[in-house]
Amino acid sequence: MVEVALGTALAAIGAGIAIGFAGLGSGIGQGIAAAGSVGAVAEDEDMFARGIIFTALPETQAIYGFLIAILLMVFTIMVPGKELSATLGLVAIGAGAAIGFAGLGSGMGQGIAASSSVGSVVEDPDMFARGIIFTALPETQAIYGFLIAILLMVFGGLLGG
Amino acid sequence: MVEDISTIITSLGLPSTEAFIALVIVVLAIIGLIALISVIRPVLSMYPYTYPNARVRARKGRLFTDKQYTEILESQSIEEVKNYLRGLPEYAKYIDEYPLEKALDTQLAETYDLIARIAPDNIKDPFDFLLKKWDIRNIKSIIIAKEAGLSLEETLNLVVPFGELSDKLNTLVDADSIDEILNNLEGTDYAPILEDAIPTYRETGILLPIEASLDKYLLENLLRTAATPEDDNTAYLHEYVGNLVDITNIKIILRAKADGLKFEDIEPYIISDGYQIREWKLKDLMESEDVSGVVNGLEGTDYAPLLSESLTDYHQTGSIASFEKALDYHVNDTANRISMKNQFGIGPMIGYLNKKEKEIKNLKIIVRGKREKDLSASVLKEMLV
Repeated sequence: MVEVALGTALAAIGAGIAIGFAGLGSGIGQGIAAAGSVGAVAEDEDMFARGIIFTALPETQAIYGFLIAILLMVFTIMVPGKELSATLGLVAIGAGAAIGFAGLGSGMGQGIAASSSVGSVVEDPDMFARGIIFTALPETQAIYGFLIAILLMVFGGLLGG
Repeated sequence: MVEDISTIITSLGLPSTEAFIALVIVVLAIIGLIALISVIRPVLSMYPYTYPNARVRARKGRLFTDKQYTEILESQSIEEVKNYLRGLPEYAKYIDEYPLEKALDTQLAETYDLIARIAPDNIKDPFDFLLKKWDIRNIKSIIIAKEAGLSLEETLNLVVPFGELSDKLNTLVDADSIDEILNNLEGTDYAPILEDAIPTYRETGILLPIEASLDKYLLENLLRTAATPEDDNTAYLHEYVGNLVDITNIKIILRAKADGLKFEDIEPYIISDGYQIREWKLKDLMESEDVSGVVNGLEGTDYAPLLSESLTDYHQTGSIASFEKALDYHVNDTANRISMKNQFGIGPMIGYLNKKEKEIKNLKIIVRGKREKDLSASVLKEMLV
């Protein structure tokens, strides 16, 4: 059996939290937006392109989570012979949790806003630009989470350390 | 600091720092899971409504605007009205297939059918039941047509090809008498209702008992299917259906009291329960001396302030039209309020159905006004609801 240092195991949990929760939020959000878009396209075929745009927006949270998870793995788990301390492992969990939970809330919120915007646009096409603005707003929470995750990794000694 | 942590770990009886970290992670995971479930549950409850609401909102965007009403009101003839409607995809497919009023009713029935098909499971039953509205409408039309001696073709022009009985419509229209209609309805919910109402019809010669008992069956059972609110959506549906039932009862009682009818005359036509007006209150209202007594008896319900405002108008004109208008506005307001308050649930569906009913009512007013009395656009505009 391969021996894994405690810190490395914790970093693996951090990577899992980062993509797991961000992906969950993104998936739920995108599902809600997609269901709304399918309804809109069923009534108006011209809504396809706009529906795709609104449905794609909640994808970003999963991308942020994926990036953080990759960074955590590249700088910890995938470095041959590197044994991470427990403290650094906890920093990795912090970074993963920052983007994971921020992405979860942001993704779900963005999905609801996107679905509602699709409904508004299919009712009144002039609502497209305003719908995009409202739908983009819940993105900020994911960006905060992403920034904090990066800062934790940089100043916690995981990146470039 | 490290020593302090080590002391805490030892005092907790944990063998090592690793065990402590594992315990912290497990505790955080449990707290996280509880938080996650409480956040996700309300979001997931919106999920089944996103598809139907998008479809409904697309159709809401195609409802008649004020500009379109002005344009159709300016039509010089029925043919122009038809041409105008041919330009609207929702009406176009029925305009050339059916006479104008049947085309409008068919479009409305199609809307009800669509909502029943796409409604999420927890609110499906009431919307499915609502489709019986078209069965009842068709049965009433066929019976009236038979009584009036209308031809087969004329009768067919009155029925709408929607509802559970849509396959049986031709057989029902072919029937030579009310008894034959009753035989053809054997095995459906409508047969026992008609069996009970037909003797009164034969005694009095008026069709009102038959029509009233069918309407009563629809609303009574509709209220029953919506009567067990499980969440916000079903509670709003119950409120809306309950308002419809209450208002139907109030209108019957007001009409009866304006005509000086007594409790025993009104009782057979009343839906036995309601939303804000329960059974005991209905009895009180039916026993009221006059219209003012009914309005006073409604004190404590949402309907009292609306009706009190119209009481002066009633005393001046002797007509209950202003009461009926106020009550109809109340139904529209209720639908609008639910639509705004519950945007991610049943709200858009209720709001749209109410607005669609209003649109069809207005189009029928325009069609009848143009065809039967050649009324001017300004007069017709005043008549729109």
